[in-house]
Amino acid sequence: MNSEPGAGPATGTPLSVRGISRRFGSVQALANVDFTLESGEIHALVGENGAGKSTLAKIVAGSIRSDAGSMSLFGQPYEPLSRREGAAAGVAHVRQQLSLVRGLTVAQNLQLGRPGAPAVFNAAAARAEVERWSDEFALSVPAETLVDDMPLAVRQQAEILIAVAWGARLLILDEPSSALGPLETRALIALCHRLRAEGTPILYISHRLPELAELADRLTVLRAGRVVVEGADVRAADLREVATLMIGDVTLLEVNRPEIERGSTRLRVSDLSISSTQEVGCYGLDFEVAGGEILGVVGIAGNGQESLAKALTGQVKLSSGHVLVDEVDISGSAREAIAAGVAHLHEDRSTGLAAAFSVADNATARYAGSRKFTRFGVRLPDKIARHARELAERFQVRPPEPTAKASSLSGGNQQKLMAARELEKNPTVLVAHGPTKGLDPEAAKAMRDRCFAAAQAGGAVVVISADLDEVADLAHRVIVLYRGAVTDAFPIEDMTSERVGAAMAGLTESAGATSG
Amino acid sequence: MSQLLEATFWSATVAGGMRLATPLIYASIGETFAQRAGVLNLGLEGYMIIGALSSLYVADPTSAPLGFLVGGLAGMALASLMVLLSIRLFANQVVVGFGLTILGIGTTGYIFHETTDVGGRDRQVSLPSEIDIPLLSDIPWLGDAVFGHSWYTWLSLGLVIVAGFVASRTIFGLQAKAVGEDPDAAAAKGVDVLRIRTQATLISGFLGGLGGAALMLGSVGRFQPYLTANRGFIALIVIIMASWSIWGAAVGAFVFGFFEALGFNLNNVFVDVPIEGLNAIPFFVALVILTVSARWARMPRGLGQNYVPTV
Repeated sequence: MNSEPGAGPATGTPLSVRGISRRFGSVQALANVDFTLESGEIHALVGENGAGKSTLAKIVAGSIRSDAGSMSLFGQPYEPLSRREGAAAGVAHVRQQLSLVRGLTVAQNLQLGRPGAPAVFNAAAARAEVERWSDEFALSVPAETLVDDMPLAVRQQAEILIAVAWGARLLILDEPSSALGPLETRALIALCHRLRAEGTPILYISHRLPELAELADRLTVLRAGRVVVEGADVRAADLREVATLMIGDVTLLEVNRPEIERGSTRLRVSDLSISSTQEVGCYGLDFEVAGGEILGVVGIAGNGQESLAKALTGQVKLSSGHVLVDEVDISGSAREAIAAGVAHLHEDRSTGLAAAFSVADNATARYAGSRKFTRFGVRLPDKIARHARELAERFQVRPPEPTAKASSLSGGNQQKLMAARELEKNPTVLVAHGPTKGLDPEAAKAMRDRCFAAAQAGGAVVVISADLDEVADLAHRVIVLYRGAVTDAFPIEDMTSERVGAAMAGLTESAGATSG
Repeated sequence: MSQLLEATFWSATVAGGMRLATPLIYASIGETFAQRAGVLNLGLEGYMIIGALSSLYVADPTSAPLGFLVGGLAGMALASLMVLLSIRLFANQVVVGFGLTILGIGTTGYIFHETTDVGGRDRQVSLPSEIDIPLLSDIPWLGDAVFGHSWYTWLSLGLVIVAGFVASRTIFGLQAKAVGEDPDAAAAKGVDVLRIRTQATLISGFLGGLGGAALMLGSVGRFQPYLTANRGFIALIVIIMASWSIWGAAVGAFVFGFFEALGFNLNNVFVDVPIEGLNAIPFFVALVILTVSARWARMPRGLGQNYVPTV
C-alpha cells in the first residue's frame, strides 16, 4: 500500500487511545475513553446520537483536541494538532458530511490539499491516478465529473479512494452508510473488506447494527461519552443486547403499530410523470392511499423520491397525470395543495424550514397569505408569538421560544418544529419524507407517533424513505421506486429483504404493472 | 453614414476598444481571482483610483514603469484593509467593499486637491509610445486594429495568459476555487481558507491598482477626481458576464471596450445624437449579455460569505 506521507513503517498497534476526555461547555462528550484498533481489523464504534462517537473520531483525526489522555499510532506517540497533521501521520477521516469540495472534479480533489503535491496541477496524471485506484478497488469513480453531479454513494467511494491514494494507514468512516440504500451499503462493505485485506485497519462508526455483523470484526459501544463495551467480538455478540446497551432503554426500539380504521380513498395518483433536469423524475405512477392508511415508498436514494414528494405537494409541474386529494386536483399548485390540507415533512430540514427565521415565523408559515395573523396587511406579532408558543409546546419543541431562530434548534427539535407547522391541523394527506432520518430514538419515536396520529385522524399518509426499517415500522403497504417507476407493490407483511432488494435494484420484471 | 461601411472605421473602433479595455482587463482578472475564492471585492473602484493617483505621483518624478508598479502596490495596500476587516474580522463584505470604494475616491480627491494648484496641469505624464508587433501589424485589416498599442495593453494580454494558467493549472488556482465553492470542505482537506482568500484579495488589489495605473499612465496622463468613472464596477459586471472565467473576463473587457469605442466613434458619424446616448451603448450591451448569460452563469457558491474557522 502506498504510504508516502506516513512516518515510519506500519508496525505496532495501529491506534491506542488511553484515558481520553473531552468536554464541550457543560457537556462531558467523552469521559476517560480507552480504545484499541488492532492491525487488520474493522472495528465498529457504535452508540446513539450524542454518545461521543464523532467526537472521538475527530480527536483521532486531529480536528479537535482532547482535554486529557494520550494516543499512540503504530507504536509512536501521536498528538495531532490539526487534521492536516493527522492526515500527514496517515489517519484519514471520512465524515458524515463528506469533505469532497463541490465545484471541483474528483481528480482535482485528489490533488487539493494533498501533502507534497506539486504546485502545478497535472490533470492527466491526476486522472490516471484516480482511474488506477478505482480499478484496484473495483469501483467506478469518474475522474473528471464534478463532485456535485455524482450520487452520494459514488462521492463517498471517491473520498475513500482519495484517502487511500494519499497514503492513509488508518481509515475512520463516520456513519458512512446513513444515506445509502441496501445495495450501496453492500458495495461499501465489500470495499471495506478489500481495504482490510490490503492491510488498512478501519474504525467504522455507525448506529446501524444489522450491517455490522457482516462488516466488522470487533465492536466498542459508547454511551454518553463512556465506553460500555470495549472490543467485543462481533460474531459472538448478541446485537439485541448491544442495542440495549447502546440506548439503555429497549422499549424505544419496539414500535407498536396502532390499529387504524381504514377510510375511503383520499389520495389518488394517476399516470403521474415528471421530467426533471435536476433530479430523477417519475414515470407513469398510479396509486391510491385511503384515509387511515400509511403507504411506504422505498427505493435507493435518488430514484425519483424527490420528484414524487414535490408532485404530491404541488411543487412541480407534471408532464402528465394528476394528483387528486379528496377528488380535488392539486397538480402543480402548492397553494391548492395547502388549501386541500396536504402536509409535507421535508426530507431536508434546512430546506423544510426557514433556518434564519424565528420559531414563530416558521410555526405559522402555513398562514402566509391568510388574514389570520394580520390586520390591514400588518402582522400581529403578539398573536403570532402566542400561537407559536402553543404549537411549540404541543409538539414539544425545545425550547418553545417563539423568538429563537430555527437554526439554533437541534435536529430533532427542528423536525418537531416542522411537524408543528405541517400537522397543526389534521392533514388530509401527509407526505413524510425520511421523517425519522438522523434522529435519536426518542425523537424518532415522537415522529413515528405523529405519523400514526395523522393516519388515525383519517389522513392518508405517504412515508418516503431509503431506510427500510423506518418504512417497516410505519407502513401498511409498500411501493418500490426504481429510476422513477414502481417496480413492486405489496402489503407490509410480504416485505422480505429479498423481494425489496430485487425491486430496489430494478430486478423485478413487471416494472409499474403491479402497483396500486 | 458611409463611414460605417469603411474598414478603417471598424479597425479604429477595435483598436480603441483594446485601449479602453486595458484597465478593465487588469481589474477584472484580479477581481476574478478574488471572487473565485469567494471574496466579493466591491472596493475594486477604490483600488483602481488609488492606483491611478499613486502611479501618477511616482511616475511624474521618476519613471512610468516604477509608477505603474507603485500603483499596483497602492491598490494592494487598500485591499489589505479588506483582508483585515472582512476576511480576518468577518465584517460584511459588501459594506467593507463599498466603504473602500468611497474611501479611495474621497482620499484621492482630497490628496489631489491639496497637492495641486492649477487643476492638475503641474502633475502629468506624457502618454507612452506605441509598440507595434512587426508581423501582427502587417496583417491587413486586423493589422490596423492591433496597431499602435502601448506596453500596458500588451502586458495585460500577457497577464491573461499567465492568470489563465494559474487559475486552471496550478494548485493555487484549485485552492482558490475550492475556498470559493465550498470553504468548509476545503478546510477539511487541510486548505487554509483564510490564507488563500487573503492572497486572492491582495492579488485583486494589486491588479486593480495596476488597472488604475494603466488608465492613468497609458491613456489619460493626468488626474482628475473620480478619474476611474465606475470602471471598477464595470469590471464587476464583466466578471459576471464571463461567468467567473479568466479568459471570459478578458473577452468581456474587450467587448465592453469595443462598444465604448463604438459610442465615441459613432459620435463623429451621428453628430446630432447626444453623446450621452451613445455612451450608454456598452451598458445596454452588458444588460443583454447579462440577461442571456444568466442561463449558464454559475457564481461561486461561497461568494460574499465570510468563512469563520470552526477550530
